[in-house]
Amino acid sequence: MVLTSFRLPGEFGGLVPIHILSEDANENPGLTIETYQFFFSDFIYFEIFIKSFAVATLTTIICIVMAYPLASLIARSHKKFRHLMIMLVVLPFASNFLIRIYAWMIILGPESTLSHMINSILSFFGIAPVTLLFSPFAVLIGMIYVHLPFMILPLYTNLEQHDPILLDAAQDLGASSWQRFWYVTWPQSLPGIFSGSALVFIPVLGMFAIPDILGGTSDIMIGNLIKDQFLSTRDWPFGSTLSIMLTLMVLVIVGLLSWLARPGTRTI
Amino acid sequence: MNSSLILMRLNLVLLILISVIGCTHQEDSIVSTQTSTRILQIFNWNNYIAPETIQRFEASCDCYMKQDYFSDNEEMLAKLSAGATGYDLIVPTGNAMDTLIRQGVLIPLDKELLPNLKNIHPAYLNTQFDPGNQFSVPYAYTITLLGFNANKIRDLGLPTDTWAIIFEPQYLQKIKGRVTVLDSPRELLAAALLYLGYAANDQDEAHWNQAKELIIRAKPFWAAFSNTSYIREMAIGDLWVSHGYSNDLFQAAMDAQKTKRPFAIDYAIPKQGAVMSLDSMVLHKSGKYPDLAHQFINFMLDGKNSAELTNLIGSGNPNVTAKPFIRSELVQNKVIFPDEDTFSRLEMITDLNSTQRRILSRIWTEIKLR
Repeated sequence: MVLTSFRLPGEFGGLVPIHILSEDANENPGLTIETYQFFFSDFIYFEIFIKSFAVATLTTIICIVMAYPLASLIARSHKKFRHLMIMLVVLPFASNFLIRIYAWMIILGPESTLSHMINSILSFFGIAPVTLLFSPFAVLIGMIYVHLPFMILPLYTNLEQHDPILLDAAQDLGASSWQRFWYVTWPQSLPGIFSGSALVFIPVLGMFAIPDILGGTSDIMIGNLIKDQFLSTRDWPFGSTLSIMLTLMVLVIVGLLSWLARPGTRTI
Repeated sequence: MNSSLILMRLNLVLLILISVIGCTHQEDSIVSTQTSTRILQIFNWNNYIAPETIQRFEASCDCYMKQDYFSDNEEMLAKLSAGATGYDLIVPTGNAMDTLIRQGVLIPLDKELLPNLKNIHPAYLNTQFDPGNQFSVPYAYTITLLGFNANKIRDLGLPTDTWAIIFEPQYLQKIKGRVTVLDSPRELLAAALLYLGYAANDQDEAHWNQAKELIIRAKPFWAAFSNTSYIREMAIGDLWVSHGYSNDLFQAAMDAQKTKRPFAIDYAIPKQGAVMSLDSMVLHKSGKYPDLAHQFINFMLDGKNSAELTNLIGSGNPNVTAKPFIRSELVQNKVIFPDEDTFSRLEMITDLNSTQRRILSRIWTEIKLR
């Protein structure tokens, strides 16, 4: 991939072979940094990166907020039900990912019951009707729906291991329920949150199918851009450059997060 | 722990089952090669030949036909470059065929074996992609045009014969959120260029930028960029106007009719012109039976066989002997049999070089982001 990003796009797609070019080295060096210059010469590609990061961050945060209560409910419930509940969380995986996304197309469509319901409530308050499908909102829903289990499962495994005695001890020492959560449960669950966040954040960042299917006219993400470079533009070097920039940025962010989450920085 | 072990075992059993099924399937195909001498391998668009046509050909040639499918030209080219072989016959669109010819992977046709070639209307022969039809014979075509919900558009009093309906805010504001355009840089750019009065293949960057401005101005009114889902959305009435392919809109119209919707789907070629994608039959070098492939091409050039495809999917038909076999309601359809005036306004898209592709991709990215 690194090598590809320094090469020239072929006439029919693919790449210009290096050995042919070496004969005519003056005209075509075979390897070039032109692709990177093209990437950095234009702010528009950064804008897409920023936007994708925003979507991924938002999805991750909402997933944490939604998954936390559910995961702790499962962790605290009786053993008999736990397996059943985990099964229910995993159940959607039994059907194909694309079919589940297409299902959202029907649920959010302008003639769907949900749309009619929301719009009749909105019109009651005198607000103009909204379209749910083909919007950033639809993309976000799709992203959260698909990736929520990836947040629930690591969180559950983490929360399940917590020793309830600690909470009892905190209560005995006079901590309120909020304090018990914030000073006992939350710090202990951080590893689960971080692994869950990584499992959600990184796939969301590269996702192209959901914006393609549920997104409107402005919901392009890096995944779509990279896919386009390989399939419709047939510009492999630029696609590779974009992929490398994406990988680098993910590495930087993961590094930053794990530095922030390193043990001992938090005073309890 | 226990449950995961059971799961693993189940997986193992499934795997074994799958491999057993796979094996038996393979044996089947080996048996069939032995009993029948020849198998014609075709790399074709999905649903691009009528089942009864296949049956008749198989009966006439004492052979089997096997098809693999692609859903766009890029996919077909990519699979071939990645080493897919064994195809006697491929059905690419003009510009992709151009690529195949320049790559030198096609076999020139032997016209002696194709007496039915005279059935093709001369307007479809000798195209810029294959002068003299050395390698290709026209199969069928689709036109990129505007489809609309006839009842809605009539009620709103909007025009249906111009690209203005998807580009001009004065029309768009009445159908906001009920319009889709193709998720294809070349097709959408072509539509915008045609509306601005340029050629669909115009390669002037200044004109491209003008087209970009036009698209960005119209974009807030569009629901989405869509290549396939518009068929269903048109058929159930969620969409009122879409920029799409005539074959797909034909399917949407049929679906709406079959499910007895209270509206009709119609489509028309805008007066500024439109893009025509002519698909041709070509012979690939890796094929085993070029003579059988010639026989198939000649068979498909027969009016009846060519007509069956049009009856099935509403494709444009370049065959002059097909008309008597076409369903009566389709004969008058200008998209299937364009008159001379209409035909003169149709353009075929040519390929861009890698620099132009990168510039276009840059424009496309900006369109998608704004």
